Amino acid sequence: MSDKAPVPVVVPEKTKPTPARESRGLGSGTLLGWLFLLPAIVMLAVLVAYPIVWSLLRSLFGADGWSDFVGIDNYKELFTDDDTFTALKNNLIWVLVVPAAVTSLGLIFAVLTERVRFATAFKLIVFMPMAVSMLAAGITFRLVYDREPDQGVANAVVTSVHDMFSEGAPYPGARPRNDTVLTPQAGGFITKAGTEPGGTALLPLVSLPAEKIPGDARPAKPGVPPAGGLGGVVWVDFTKGNAGKPGAVDPGEKGLPGVEVEAVRGGKTVASATTGKDGSFTMPASVARGGPVQLRLTEANFAKSFGGYDWLGPNLITAAIIGAYIWMWAGFAMVLIAAGLAAIPRDALEAARVDGATEWQVFRRVTIPLLAPVLVVVMVTLVINVLKIFDLVFIISLGSSQKEANVLALQMYIASFGGGNNQGLGSAIGILLFLLVLPAMLFNIRRFRRENR
Amino acid sequence: MATVSYKQATCTYKGAERPSVNALDLEIADGEFLVLVGPSGCGKSTSLRMLAGLEEVTGGSIHIGDREVTNLEPKDRDIAMVFQNYALYPHMTVAENMGFALKIAGIDKKQIRAKVEEAAKILDLTEYLDRKPKALSGGQRQRVAMGRAIVREPQVFLMDEPLSNLDAKLRVQTRTQIAGLQRRLGITTVYVTHDQVEAMTMGDRVAVLKDGLLQQVDTPRNMYDRPANVFVAGFIGSPAMNLIEVDLAEDGIRFGDAVVPVSREAREAAVAEGAKKVTLGVRPEHLKINSAEGLSKDSKGLAVSVDVVEELGSDAFVYGSVTIDGETKPLVVRVPGREVPEKGGVLHVVPTVGETHLFSTKSGERLHD
Repeated sequence: MSDKAPVPVVVPEKTKPTPARESRGLGSGTLLGWLFLLPAIVMLAVLVAYPIVWSLLRSLFGADGWSDFVGIDNYKELFTDDDTFTALKNNLIWVLVVPAAVTSLGLIFAVLTERVRFATAFKLIVFMPMAVSMLAAGITFRLVYDREPDQGVANAVVTSVHDMFSEGAPYPGARPRNDTVLTPQAGGFITKAGTEPGGTALLPLVSLPAEKIPGDARPAKPGVPPAGGLGGVVWVDFTKGNAGKPGAVDPGEKGLPGVEVEAVRGGKTVASATTGKDGSFTMPASVARGGPVQLRLTEANFAKSFGGYDWLGPNLITAAIIGAYIWMWAGFAMVLIAAGLAAIPRDALEAARVDGATEWQVFRRVTIPLLAPVLVVVMVTLVINVLKIFDLVFIISLGSSQKEANVLALQMYIASFGGGNNQGLGSAIGILLFLLVLPAMLFNIRRFRRENR
Repeated sequence: MATVSYKQATCTYKGAERPSVNALDLEIADGEFLVLVGPSGCGKSTSLRMLAGLEEVTGGSIHIGDREVTNLEPKDRDIAMVFQNYALYPHMTVAENMGFALKIAGIDKKQIRAKVEEAAKILDLTEYLDRKPKALSGGQRQRVAMGRAIVREPQVFLMDEPLSNLDAKLRVQTRTQIAGLQRRLGITTVYVTHDQVEAMTMGDRVAVLKDGLLQQVDTPRNMYDRPANVFVAGFIGSPAMNLIEVDLAEDGIRFGDAVVPVSREAREAAVAEGAKKVTLGVRPEHLKINSAEGLSKDSKGLAVSVDVVEELGSDAFVYGSVTIDGETKPLVVRVPGREVPEKGGVLHVVPTVGETHLFSTKSGERLHD
């Protein structure tokens, strides 16, 4: 008011044409404002508003197009259809797990790079995946998650770690020469007939690749039973050319060292022995005293070696894809959080240290609260991104477990174009997705407003 | 409460050739207010941060009371620090800021609240307890930082230029408040400042540092009256002491065409050094103007041509230049406020006998006291 007051006093006296000019100026001002806004409005209308409205309308029609009005049936189907339900469930898992995991990982990286040498190199490496396209990353991770440890890095790592802590069975895949002597039992093999005291058991095995037979194996020779005890041999009943007689120890056939043999009576293990270099074993008289015993080659001798996990199988697929996504986005979180960390006043941290706080307390009570705005930005960005996730899931799960890995965006694609050919249902899913992203957007807008104030 | 002692304490930053603090030896008595002062980069802040545990001690040791703290974490030293930028926690209210250390120490909430309120009363912060730091003025923030230290009741207060972000008037006010508070609480305090006025007005004793080396530790009075070397002489006092090279005369020193008597011991010390010239230090208030009428018969003193006059009301400082041995040197003279000389005029001055300081020109050290 006060600065407007002198205007009428000065202007009408001096320049008569001013009012006209002023009103024109005012008019053109508003018009000019709208003109400047026009390009943005047109772009928004064409690229945002129109598709939303179109999708909303289309979602009320069925697969056959605009002639096929179905009302809210598409939405009903959406909430009853199993595939869509899986997609919704997976989306929920994504939203609950990924933003938290990526943000924590980014926070850890950001804090660590502050204290590590070659921090820039480290950051560059962690950030690099952001530069890779989702498609390329998806294809790469299909290889990483390959079932065969020879090809898939994930399984190669898992199996080698596993083998480091537990030794594999010595003779995986071996089986009896024939089932007249041994029958399968609980992953191992057991003799059909009992062995009498003083008897000798011949336990032939085949189906062993030559490299599985230890180098120090000697020609097979049955163990001589001690008085009243029993003896026997476990050997490879096979020579080159298959010249030997089945079930008999022929010259040139090798014993199998290190096989666990158990004596079983009435289903109970009464003794055990391990074969020597020539495959021989003996058991003392105390074992045989109660009559004949069955001999069992335990499962531990033959168990298949651990082959890793079926990453791309139905059970692990979502976890696997989430792993790939985290790998891609941890760098993004790290860079933002590192910038936030750098902006925290050093002396506030020092003050906390002098105030008696441990490093953890400083981190927990000063660093984290001061970082909170950045953490929220990262989280919200990730929530929005994760809700829309499509390409990574599409590529990695392609052909294997797409049904189990399904997410809304993917289901939308499948329903509309990829087989379903029902753009009505697809539009309904799109609208649902839009409604899910909306709260995150509104939250973001409110935060921007508060920051501007 | 405790004594603090630096024993040959040294801090060399990684990659630096020269130590930032070089073999500092300093004993601070229980309850004493010691001020570390020096120009920027002299190592005063580093010395304080070494005591706080925020800077690594690369040589020597530091003790608080009977405890050696050289390698202790800051949190284990039982100290409280006031930072130059206050370093308040922006996400906590004033009360939370002040109670943070107690909360960490696991003291119960009621007790914390009581202590915080008590400190707030002392510092006049009661009505701001629920505000966030950003809603406070600079002076209030400074008081919160003080409050945070007081609440702790630590063994030692450390203050790193706590007044340098305040405006001049508030600074003078707060200066006396802090000094008064420290006397009342009786907690040993180490205070860092670059402002020699703060140092002189606040400290029980003042330690002057330069290039990481301790120059002199003394009471403000002694520091003013008996600076140990040319650097201290020039640093303490405002405006600075006039330092001019003069010739030794038969029974004193030559000052213009006058001869000013000096103590025999000082003269002998200079002669023993084999010097013909010494550095004369004389404070602006100890230069007497020889009025035109009262000229002594044979000598008029040193002629000063007046360049600038700064009037402060009660008195005025004359910034002039003198010519000694063909070289022009600046000289400052204090004159009474009502007898201000004209700009461009010429004054003749002589130093008050007994108020001169003689320093070796070679080493800069004081010649006898």
